Amino acid sequence: MLTLAFDTATTVATCALVRDGDVLGERTTSAARVLEAAHDLLAESGLASEAISRLVVGTGPGSFTGIRIGLATARALAFVLQTPTAGITTLAALAAGSPGALPVIDARRGEVFTLLAGAPVCVKPGEVVVEKRMVCVGDGAVRYRAVLEADGVVVPPDASGAHVPHARWHAQLAETFGPAEDLQPLYLRVPDVDVPRGKTL
Amino acid sequence: MILGLETSCDETAAALVTDDGHVRSNIVSSQAALHARYGGVVPEIASRRHLELVLPVVKEALQDADAALDDVSRIAVTQGPGLVGALLIGLAAGKAIAWAGRRPLIPVDHLHGHVASLYLEPAPLEPPFCCLLASGGHTLLLDVRTHDGFAVLGTTIDDAAGEAFDKGARLLGLGYPGGAELDRLARQGDPEAYRFPVARTSGLDFSFSGVKTALLYTVRSLHQTELAERKADLAASYERAIVTALVRRLLAATEQVGAERMAVVGGVAANSELRRSLPSARIAPLALCTDNAAMIASAARYREAIPYPGYLALDAYASRDAA
Ligand SMILES: [Zn+2]
Repeated sequence: MLTLAFDTATTVATCALVRDGDVLGERTTSAARVLEAAHDLLAESGLASEAISRLVVGTGPGSFTGIRIGLATARALAFVLQTPTAGITTLAALAAGSPGALPVIDARRGEVFTLLAGAPVCVKPGEVVVEKRMVCVGDGAVRYRAVLEADGVVVPPDASGAHVPHARWHAQLAETFGPAEDLQPLYLRVPDVDVPRGKTL
Repeated sequence: MILGLETSCDETAAALVTDDGHVRSNIVSSQAALHARYGGVVPEIASRRHLELVLPVVKEALQDADAALDDVSRIAVTQGPGLVGALLIGLAAGKAIAWAGRRPLIPVDHLHGHVASLYLEPAPLEPPFCCLLASGGHTLLLDVRTHDGFAVLGTTIDDAAGEAFDKGARLLGLGYPGGAELDRLARQGDPEAYRFPVARTSGLDFSFSGVKTALLYTVRSLHQTELAERKADLAASYERAIVTALVRRLLAATEQVGAERMAVVGGVAANSELRRSLPSARIAPLALCTDNAAMIASAARYREAIPYPGYLALDAYASRDAA
């Protein structure tokens, strides 16, 4: 059983190739180049896309464009390869990579996505509910390090891999597979319509 | 066959076109109604909708052509210009479909796509010709000498022609997008009733802000009942001013480059006054005027395909300058 997993929702996109629980390889890249990473991982194992038996994709929250690149890619791959697909939230993957830590993802506009009593929420950095000496991970934790540290939180160094939702965790967490079109993006915010503009094309 | 994908603005589209230019299917899912209440395209709403629609339109295009993926030899996708967040959805889907089946990919320029709508069967136009591309986002005069490109002779310095129509429609209370509605109303009015300024710009460039302002002041000067009575005349006169500007410059451009033929493409090509005013010009079929993917697949026929897997790092571009 060969699983291709990827997450393009945050600053650093990740892609992993996992065979029956063994991580064959993992890459970090940008959202727009995630398939390039997938191609390289397969090539290193002497494989091509036909070998993929299932897909796991990060559903966010994070960059809206990033989430959509991931889901559009997963749905198109599933359509051609006829593979069942699972979705894992980017928060869940981050948390799995750092047991006990709270995932905090940059939501832009001065807000972060995090978990509140286990549920994904969008809040101001100062509203992240933390305990003293708790560890926070994710690009939101890096961006709002000062705010979080003032609350007594520990944030690993900026370059730490703990801030990246490594796709191996998506593969490991995935349990329920189904049609890729059933996977929904986790936006956690309604579209901003303050500045409507003219039709541009 | 070529599978075309287009997601640059607010239409999610997929089409199947044969290598010799026959349209086998052309599916366009327009989001216009979704954006109507905001009076313009909201990029984030457009992108959310593209994600929901991109695979369904591909499946429908295959079904409609009674074809399977195996019949598709290459994928064509709009790379720009347009809303980057929207373009990236089509690009991601296009790359994935191409890569998963080890097919080549052809990134297409949206404007080249509009011109290539003229190259489709059953009556393909052969270059050279002078082309007016007028839509909600573009107003361009193009010198087209070959199938694979064009030179820009003139462009708008403010609003696009389609945008000017939509804004005029809004001033007349016709809703958004109101270009087509304005055209319908104009048919009942007198185009000579008001003398709106025909934009005077140097050379082959366009400007539509003056005529829009003139309409605004005229609308403001009229009482409610008066406005209701003169609405059709206002629409007709406004339309006449815009169309006159388009026609004059297309004729001037054609003369300047010594072209023997003229063509009009883009959403504004559907305007009845424009069609009437240019009896000798070749005008793209209505179904190919507004954004669609058949035109993208058509343009791809004249571009070098990027072989598998050389296209995986491709990015979208917002404007041609950035390309
Ligand atoms: Zn267009």
